[in-house]
Amino acid sequence: MTPAGAWTKAFAALLAALIVMPVLAAVPLAFSEQSFLRLPPHDWSLRWWNAFFADPSWLRALLTSLEVAALSCLLSVAAGTSAALGLTRLGPRMRALATGLFLGPMVAPVIVLAVGLYALARAAGLVGSAFGLVLAHTMLALPYVVLNVGVAVAALDPHLALAANGLGAGPWRVFRTITLPSILPGVIGGGVFASVTSFDEVVLAVFLAGPGVKTLPVRIWEEVRVEYTPVVAVAATIMIILAVLGSATGRLATRRAR
Amino acid sequence: MTAVAFRGIAKRFGALEALCPLDLDIASGEFVSFLGPSGSGKSTLLNICAGYVEPTAGALFVAGRDVTALPARRRNIGMVFQNYALFPHLDVFENVAYGLRVRKIAPAQIRRRVEEALGAVRLDGFERRSVLNLSGGQQQRVALARAMAIEPDILLMDEPLGALDKQLRKEVQIEIRRMHVARPRTTLYVTHDQEEALVMSDRIAVMRGGRLVQLGTARELYSRPADSFVARFLGESNLIGGRVAGLRDGRATLGAKGLAAPIEGHAGEGLRLGEAACALIRPEHVRPVAGGQRACVAERIFLGEIVALRLALPGGVELWSRLFSSDAPAGDQIEIGWDRERVSILPETS
Repeated sequence: MTPAGAWTKAFAALLAALIVMPVLAAVPLAFSEQSFLRLPPHDWSLRWWNAFFADPSWLRALLTSLEVAALSCLLSVAAGTSAALGLTRLGPRMRALATGLFLGPMVAPVIVLAVGLYALARAAGLVGSAFGLVLAHTMLALPYVVLNVGVAVAALDPHLALAANGLGAGPWRVFRTITLPSILPGVIGGGVFASVTSFDEVVLAVFLAGPGVKTLPVRIWEEVRVEYTPVVAVAATIMIILAVLGSATGRLATRRAR
Repeated sequence: MTAVAFRGIAKRFGALEALCPLDLDIASGEFVSFLGPSGSGKSTLLNICAGYVEPTAGALFVAGRDVTALPARRRNIGMVFQNYALFPHLDVFENVAYGLRVRKIAPAQIRRRVEEALGAVRLDGFERRSVLNLSGGQQQRVALARAMAIEPDILLMDEPLGALDKQLRKEVQIEIRRMHVARPRTTLYVTHDQEEALVMSDRIAVMRGGRLVQLGTARELYSRPADSFVARFLGESNLIGGRVAGLRDGRATLGAKGLAAPIEGHAGEGLRLGEAACALIRPEHVRPVAGGQRACVAERIFLGEIVALRLALPGGVELWSRLFSSDAPAGDQIEIGWDRERVSILPETS
């Protein structure tokens, strides 16, 4: 490869700024002294951090978010791993069809999903329940798990399972001792994607939220509509930190597993 | 005693007949190689034996027991794959111990048996090494130890040396032979390499197009091949095409274009008077004979103690001759002949 020229570098820097600036803009706002959102802040303080942690509704929203993310991560990893393994057993046409189905939630417009889900959830009495939201996020996160685990499964030598089977291991033992350890990086990667997807998802959460079930993004959304104070920047900063921590642990875990 | 018996075992994949109905008995402790080109059905046969592929018809008996409907994990069979199929996340010890752990054997005994198996393949002290850092030859020896540790009723090997380079192949080949001699286990060995089959086997089964063409010892196959395919597959051969001119008392004569006199030799099965056939004369049997057929040395390849000569006969027929370098003629002209007892007239296969 030839070294990048000045123009290429400038263009790359511009793109990077476009990606990073909106994310980083929230951080200084969280340490502002004023009661309104303005960049750059005049004075610095931890005033809004105190406000965030003093308000039980913010803390409850944070906990709900973590809870929903953890549960939908577990569910989508279990279902998505089974799906990725099952897909390899299908014939080429059925596999293409089933893969398309599994990846559907990733390409379908979220608002369309939300409208449909809302109608279904109302009929089933799941609006305003954490369980309904967990199910919805599981659906949304499933394609990421299927994709990540699918890559790991494709790299898996099919002879390994045959060898273990020939040595006397039943299907469950083969999965537990041979298949799972071999595809673990993909499973962890899928899990990280799933939790991050659930953690920052707002559209489905708005539709399915109730007084008892509000995730952090929903709480931010409500706050912004009523009064536009820097406490939302604090919530946003916390979300950024958690998301970065999540992906970093995922990265570390997959690297160790390899 | 019969260790493995195939009774009419056959396999179809859709319209493809991968294996035609096959009957075969393998004695306890016998080492049988299945030799053939790819697509000959030899791997299908092995996979049916292991329980990885279900036969379309027939029954398979191992030690007198019908195992046709038994899943692979209940057959107590040791399988060695071409690509080793070692478990990458486990060390050498745990790879070899895998089948023993499944069988819930006491830890102290597992330790003893793993050490024994690793000793048999000369990998003592490798217990805690990662299998990823071993050479190809070492990996295949771990795979061998893993298959043997469970004390299998039969040992199956599917081109186990296929992924190794030539030097290592020889090494592991001799290792497998040595282990078999020290402790004979019933072994089915699939290969497309004739030399491997010759070095290791008690008997060789030559396969082609889903059929067993010939089964016999290396010597039988080499000196009396069933047809021209087996003759070509095992060893070097001169095959001269022609028509059967005479057939009597197990002897046949072959009229060949370009040869003054018909060739006489041992008659193979399935010859018919007047039909196309070929004469097999092994290159080492084409020798200088005073007053024999005149030939011209067209090419001379020095192979150390042996020299290979390409000989052109006046009628346009070419023969290879392999002679000790000391017996080879110095000039371009040579008079040759062969012992008719060593010639076979064989049915031609395309």
